[in-house]
Amino acid sequence: MFDLEQSIADWRRQMLAAGIKTPVPLEELEIHLREDIAQQMKTGSNQQDAFTSAVQKLGSAHTVQTEFMKVDKTHSALKWKLMEIGLTLATILVPLLFGGIVLKRASFIDMTVAEELSSLAALAAFSLLAWSGRLGHRLLPVIQNKRIRDAIRFSCCVPLPLWWIVFLNFIVPRHDFTMGEFLVAFTWAFFTPVGACIGLNWGIETAARKEIERPDVSASQS
Amino acid sequence: MIRKELVAASAEPLILSLLAKDESYGYAIIQEVKARSDGKLEWTDGMLYPVLHRMEHRGLIKSRWGESETGRKRKYYSLKKDGKTAMATHHEQWSLVHSVLAGLRKE
Repeated sequence: MFDLEQSIADWRRQMLAAGIKTPVPLEELEIHLREDIAQQMKTGSNQQDAFTSAVQKLGSAHTVQTEFMKVDKTHSALKWKLMEIGLTLATILVPLLFGGIVLKRASFIDMTVAEELSSLAALAAFSLLAWSGRLGHRLLPVIQNKRIRDAIRFSCCVPLPLWWIVFLNFIVPRHDFTMGEFLVAFTWAFFTPVGACIGLNWGIETAARKEIERPDVSASQS
Repeated sequence: MIRKELVAASAEPLILSLLAKDESYGYAIIQEVKARSDGKLEWTDGMLYPVLHRMEHRGLIKSRWGESETGRKRKYYSLKKDGKTAMATHHEQWSLVHSVLAGLRKE
């Protein structure tokens, strides 16, 4: 005896195994399947024939999933483009802004020329480190697995605030810094590690994305 | 039967034009395209959804969950402002191709 609910549950399992995500789009596909079965039964088909024909018309799980993957890829490419614009602006504007403050306030807080230059060098190092990752992505390994890339990002981001806490709570109080010296130490301690962290992640992400883009020239469809 | 490439290329303008009339859902869109083309324009049903999702990501259409008269859950799609602009461009381009073809045929 044909069991429609059981057959739909089996079909769902096949779709899930092919990588179709739940609830959306799997739920949407199931609604379509049920609607088609109902319509076919209205015109006289029996349940089993209606189910078989509806599944066939929907297409194989693999083909549908391939199309959905293309959508995800275009979407993530767009997000990444916005991210890159953000990173570019941040790595240019932040040093300019902070550098401007240093230059403007230098005379108020008695900064020596050497301290001024050192602060500016720290800001330049921030940008250079960030951009060296982006531009030198060919030297970095291609990590296709997004989870590993996320793990690298996480392990970069977590130690940063910890280091800042150590710096502010333990290192700064032990030294009798003048304002100028503090500003120098601050710029090196805050900006340089962030630059290195951005550079590493920017590079790894670019390397992985360039590798994905390469074999897929023919598949652009939008 | 219409060629695969043409079916794929016409999917977006057809969906946009259908949704310009009123909001609709996957199954109804397929049925309407089929009916209007006397069954000659036939999509693999499952392929419609990735196209709809791509158009939604691009901001051409938007979706909402609703219910049919019989209480069946459905995802309704409707046109957004950018979708209207995209539809106008599609119409312009397809009309141009059509008029060139028609002109050549007459000669």
